[in-house]
Amino acid sequence: MKRLINIVVNGEPHEVAVNPEQTLLEILREELGLTGTKKGCDQGECGACTVLVDGKPVSSCLVLAVSVNGKSIATIEGLSQNGRLHPLQEAFVQHGAIQCGFCTPGMLLAAKYLLENRPLPSEQEIKEAIAGNICRCTGYVKIIEAITAVAHSTAQ
Amino acid sequence: MSKYAVVGEGLPRIDGPEKATGQAKFTVDIKLPGMLYGKILRSPYPHARIISIDTSAAEALPGVKAVITGKDIGEVRYAFVDTPRYPADERPLAIDKVRYIGDEVAAVAAVSEAVAEEALGLIKVEYEVLPAVFTPEEAIKPTAAVIHENSLEGTSAWEEWGAAGRSHDYRAEVDIDNASARSAISFGDVEEGFRQADHIREDSFDAAATAHCALEPHAAVASYDPVNGKLDLWLSTMGIFLKRFVLSKALKMPISKVRVRHSYVGGAFGGKIDVFPYEFCAAYLSMKLGRPVKIELDREEVFTTTRQRHPISIKIKTGIKKDGTIVAQDIKLYADNGGYRGSGAIVVFLCHGFSFPVYNIPNYRYEGIAVYTNNPIRGPQRGHGAPQVRFAIDSQLDMIARELGLDPVEVMLKNVRHKGDVLPNGDKLNSCGLSDAIRGAAQGVNWTVGRSQLNKGEDCAKGSGRDGARFRRGVGMSLCSMFSGAMYYPFASAAMIKLHDDGSATLFTGSQELGQGIYTTLGQVAAEELGIGLDDIRVVAGDTEITPIDLGSFLSGGALVTGNAVKLAAADARRQLLEVAAEILEVKVEDLNYRNKQIFVKGNLDKSISYAKAIQGSVFRKNGNPIIGTGSYKGNPETDRYPSLAKAKGLFTSAYGFCAQAVEVEVDTLTGKVKVLKASTFHDCGFPLNKTIVEGQVEGCVSMGMGQALSEEIVLEKGQLFNASFLNYRLPIATDTPETKDGLVDSLEPNGPFGAKEVGEGAVAGMLAAVANAVNDAVGVRIYSTPITPDKVLSALQG
Ligand code: FES
Ligand code: FES
Repeated sequence: MKRLINIVVNGEPHEVAVNPEQTLLEILREELGLTGTKKGCDQGECGACTVLVDGKPVSSCLVLAVSVNGKSIATIEGLSQNGRLHPLQEAFVQHGAIQCGFCTPGMLLAAKYLLENRPLPSEQEIKEAIAGNICRCTGYVKIIEAITAVAHSTAQ
Repeated sequence: MSKYAVVGEGLPRIDGPEKATGQAKFTVDIKLPGMLYGKILRSPYPHARIISIDTSAAEALPGVKAVITGKDIGEVRYAFVDTPRYPADERPLAIDKVRYIGDEVAAVAAVSEAVAEEALGLIKVEYEVLPAVFTPEEAIKPTAAVIHENSLEGTSAWEEWGAAGRSHDYRAEVDIDNASARSAISFGDVEEGFRQADHIREDSFDAAATAHCALEPHAAVASYDPVNGKLDLWLSTMGIFLKRFVLSKALKMPISKVRVRHSYVGGAFGGKIDVFPYEFCAAYLSMKLGRPVKIELDREEVFTTTRQRHPISIKIKTGIKKDGTIVAQDIKLYADNGGYRGSGAIVVFLCHGFSFPVYNIPNYRYEGIAVYTNNPIRGPQRGHGAPQVRFAIDSQLDMIARELGLDPVEVMLKNVRHKGDVLPNGDKLNSCGLSDAIRGAAQGVNWTVGRSQLNKGEDCAKGSGRDGARFRRGVGMSLCSMFSGAMYYPFASAAMIKLHDDGSATLFTGSQELGQGIYTTLGQVAAEELGIGLDDIRVVAGDTEITPIDLGSFLSGGALVTGNAVKLAAADARRQLLEVAAEILEVKVEDLNYRNKQIFVKGNLDKSISYAKAIQGSVFRKNGNPIIGTGSYKGNPETDRYPSLAKAKGLFTSAYGFCAQAVEVEVDTLTGKVKVLKASTFHDCGFPLNKTIVEGQVEGCVSMGMGQALSEEIVLEKGQLFNASFLNYRLPIATDTPETKDGLVDSLEPNGPFGAKEVGEGAVAGMLAAVANAVNDAVGVRIYSTPITPDKVLSALQG
């Protein structure tokens, strides 16, 4: 039996009919066509599917869609505003923190949450904040650099 | 200041914004109207005969559109290696036997993944379970179960490419039923070399199977158009033309009716070059049903069925003079390629090919044998054989150096090859910065200060350490080399550049972006040669219908082979542009100069014309002929000297990349846990076309190499994979990131575009021995197998 849920995605309200076993990830990708959120494992182990639910990062492959009824969700598609890249997106591009790009959306949302809650994190705090997001391409070096750069430039 | 305007700079990659905003479309993101979903039924047994398959219940399930088995498909074989000596041994779906847990047996297309999954459960397969073998030692016993008993007939792909060499049946050379390939080579006089040696060591090393762990799962979308008889494919691929060739042959389609279309690839590392059964099945089902079909593998399937690095057992004997000169080396190794040959024939060639450029060893013998077992299939993975064999060679060299009381770095410096050396196969090292790389990496980890144990001679502390310290530090180093492309289908790359009325250009290339930044790098090459900015270039790539043929992004040929093709195409376009400008300005071409999209007459700056005007002029003056430049380049121009996989003869590549890798580790003597604190890689990649991209490639390699040195390992129990998830297969996460001190050595490769050569693969290979040597430096124990887990360190410390 499908159930209707109401969610706000990137500021826009949506009414979606969902099956009880469908995950938030499936709804975003399949029903709403927001394929920027990636499925790397579907087991909560890679972080590629990270989105913010009411401002907090979650692995959307582990969250049942019915459980986010009434909540507000931020995905990668909502990060840039009016065609302008978010400072984190800009820094990822400038610092070479993106290679294949498959981890990037999840990584950016995890970083956004970090900087919103800890504007000047230490290097160790940055590493811990993205420890749930696997990146096989970069070895994390330039991702850490990019996040550090944004923290420092906003601090000034 | 650089003499170039566009290449060399660390310009941000052109696909960055698309990827940062989630707009980049990967194969898994492709969704077509009316699309069906496919799933694959796989063997639960490592070795079994198929008695019967009953698909009737699955076919009757509502929502199921088709079920296919090996019988439907008939006689179709393909493989990464398909030569007269090594005929293809893989089938899209098993017909008679299954040979590993995960082997493909049937495929279903249905209206949803859930229905397809349910249908798999309704297919009844009756098996007769056969005895199985799981290690090379078991597999080579005369009594071992034989995994491939039939000889395989037919014309190989290699022959169809017109590249057939003389064929020797490898089975005549090695008396092992389960052998799948053999490479053997020697030069000098090995016995005599050992007689000259002052010191000889013989050791055995084992390197573990590892997973690629590209973050994007493998997927294929196939869309057949019955009206025009055309098949469109979106694939997880590293070489669109190679996949098109193999798939069109397997599907019995004219090659021009198969189109591989562009999508981004979310990491590959070697694991997306083979043609896989799910790709064939998606295409076959789409052709059968006239509807698009998508098959996306789940993470467990990716771990199990999309290839792994070969586990290799290496016996190595090395003879050395008192002063550290290596005089003889004898290597014999066995690689386990699993249930099918995969890249077994290549890896036993590359364990030699990727390694012998490092040291100049006058007397050398090498034999590599690949064997079938009932394990998952092994294929190319970043470095392909080099990490395993470098682990053995440089671990042993470190031991020998210490026994002779020599500094391992000095011993390496004494034996490495140099620019100008000619390798035993005839390849010339037109560039080689190994000595500088060694010095750079040594400095990166403060080599002279950090060599704790070495300075203490015999007093290798055991247990918690002589001085009672729980954490002990040490440094280690290893070297490696890599090809810059090699002779493999389609053997060459072409490129095309079209100029536009506004002075900008479009580059058409058949290369494929995997994350390595090839679109950006090639765009820079084109922009530099044309005298325009990177912003003025659009790159159209990864589509077999609209781009010229390309070697593909494997064997690290992107920068050198395709880069040269692009440079030639841009030069061709520029030549045409200058000719038109000369005509318009009524001067000779030699009198012209260009900068910032403006063409000047030398010595008369008032006389000039913009690129835009000249391009428009070409359309007016030459009967509407717009400017299109073309270029092509072959990896190894001497066609008659293809490398022989068997004898490792012929020319291998136009240029070798080199690197030296050093690490500082900290060993917790209480738990055995090893942490890499510092990693320093000095790479000789020739001229770096894009500094940021080059650095990123090295950092990625270092991370992967560190993971494979310390924790990564495919765990199998009687052919069953036990850690097919990111949680249990431990690859590096952000908190494992060491401090990096990387550098590039000054080097220019005359064969490369602007002096560039390989960068994307090499720097995995040195990490294994570097870590092993550093652990030994720290706590005085030698670990002979990867990964160097806390268990192994602890039991060595206690032993
Ligand atoms: S897809 Fe959700 S954590 Fe990997
Ligand atoms: S950029 Fe490829 S996984 Fe992170």
